Amino acid sequence: MIAVEENPQNVQQADIVVAIPTFNEASTIGRAVEIVGRGLREHYPDRSSVIINCDNHSVDGTREAFFQAPVDVPRLYLSTEPTRRGKGANLLMLMEKITALDAQAVLVLEADITNVTPVWVRLFIEPIFRGAAYVTPLYVRHKYESTLTSTLVYPMLRCLYGRRVRQPDAGDCAFRADMASTFLGAPAWSEAVEGTGIDVWMGTVALTSRAPVWQTLIGSPKRHRAKDPFAHLAARFRNVLAAMFDQMAAYADFWKRVKWSKPTALFNLDGREMDNPPLVEINAVRLHQRFVEGFQENEALWRGVLDPAAMNKLDEIRRMPYEQFTFPSQTWAAVLFDAACAYRRSAPEERLRLLDSLMPLYMGKVVSFVKRTERMSVQQAEDHVEETCAIFEEYKPYLVDRWPS
Amino acid sequence: MAKILVVDDEEHIRLLYSEELRDAGYEVITADSGYKLLERIEQEKPDLVILDIKMVDYDGLDLLQDIRSRFYDLPVILSTAYDTFKEDSKSIAADYYVVKSFDLTELKKKIAMALETHLPG
Repeated sequence: MIAVEENPQNVQQADIVVAIPTFNEASTIGRAVEIVGRGLREHYPDRSSVIINCDNHSVDGTREAFFQAPVDVPRLYLSTEPTRRGKGANLLMLMEKITALDAQAVLVLEADITNVTPVWVRLFIEPIFRGAAYVTPLYVRHKYESTLTSTLVYPMLRCLYGRRVRQPDAGDCAFRADMASTFLGAPAWSEAVEGTGIDVWMGTVALTSRAPVWQTLIGSPKRHRAKDPFAHLAARFRNVLAAMFDQMAAYADFWKRVKWSKPTALFNLDGREMDNPPLVEINAVRLHQRFVEGFQENEALWRGVLDPAAMNKLDEIRRMPYEQFTFPSQTWAAVLFDAACAYRRSAPEERLRLLDSLMPLYMGKVVSFVKRTERMSVQQAEDHVEETCAIFEEYKPYLVDRWPS
Repeated sequence: MAKILVVDDEEHIRLLYSEELRDAGYEVITADSGYKLLERIEQEKPDLVILDIKMVDYDGLDLLQDIRSRFYDLPVILSTAYDTFKEDSKSIAADYYVVKSFDLTELKKKIAMALETHLPG
């Protein structure tokens, strides 16, 4: 898996590993390395550490920028083969390397976070030294940031695996180093996981490993280099759902026994450096149009997959004018549960078509979420997300009853 | 019979909760403050804690963090006169929260859910 390894300082052991997965991040990785290096020196001066760049054979000088960053922390560079892409592929190399480093704690941080500060290293790593096995961040988010998480990933993972991990696919995480072997041995690795499904996949492995999962309050939003949030939505949506549905098959014996949900332990609750999240604007009219158009393309497929009651409800929703549009969470849960069962029954070549067909329905759910919460504060919108999760949990027996054995 | 520890500095709330929850089939013990709460939990081993947020000498949200760090999966229901506390991120460490009322239907529903919650392992 590791096609290229450069270890100029001959690092053989490190208590703390900070991994930065990249593909063509020459313009951002230098700053990330510098900040992380300062964080390690300020907060863990007595522990050995290494920063690892897990790269997809970038051609823009990422590797050079990584080594040139002015930091006195040892560095190690790993790369996949030129043809192998995806954050999942990057992290698979990391897992292999960690097992050889006798490490204790691992932090995975994306390269293009523009507001990362040295204290983030402590916020992610400290829970590991206090007993956590897997740590996800709680970034400050605008109510319309990461609607895929709020309307789909969080309610599904919570009702399936029973832990309230609010941002399981945030892109950054920390884990106890011995979890690397758990990840390496976990089922349902796929092309989707090698791409953008990796965050959901790792979160699910951690949740089913019975190891303690914590959340850490970062107290800031996660600011990326400017990019269009919808630019890669189709691929991300497909990969996330494929990873989730594949893992549902692998962990059916686990999630069928989960009833309701529990909170996780939290870190940095006394941290009060709350920063306002950047405004996120959504063109709900356009999304509504995509929802309606989705019927023309996918109605026949949906009728073969969804329960007639859910299909009737979708018909009703389609006829609603935009002004009165609402997509009830019960119907949304039924759609996702039916789709998960259909995915399980489908031949592999039919699955992508099924996943893609769900995209317009997701857009309809986002329209409903936006309309319902447009006059709400962030906290009120958060309460609405919690209500959605409670509906998914109440409705879970529907899934358990229908799940193909 | 599940054992519930009610922590509230208002006597009439302790009495109300005790009577109603005993009638509902629970064993109920009470505490009028957060004083030595963790030791009490260690000794009494309740199945669930109902915790007032605003007590004269104690902050229920701080107590909740102490409980979580020592008894990771012990169900805790926050009980409060106002729902503004939800803006405090500490409250998400609770299993559920209820706004105090003389009608305990919601509280009883949340108690049943918290006690029924099952995670493999």
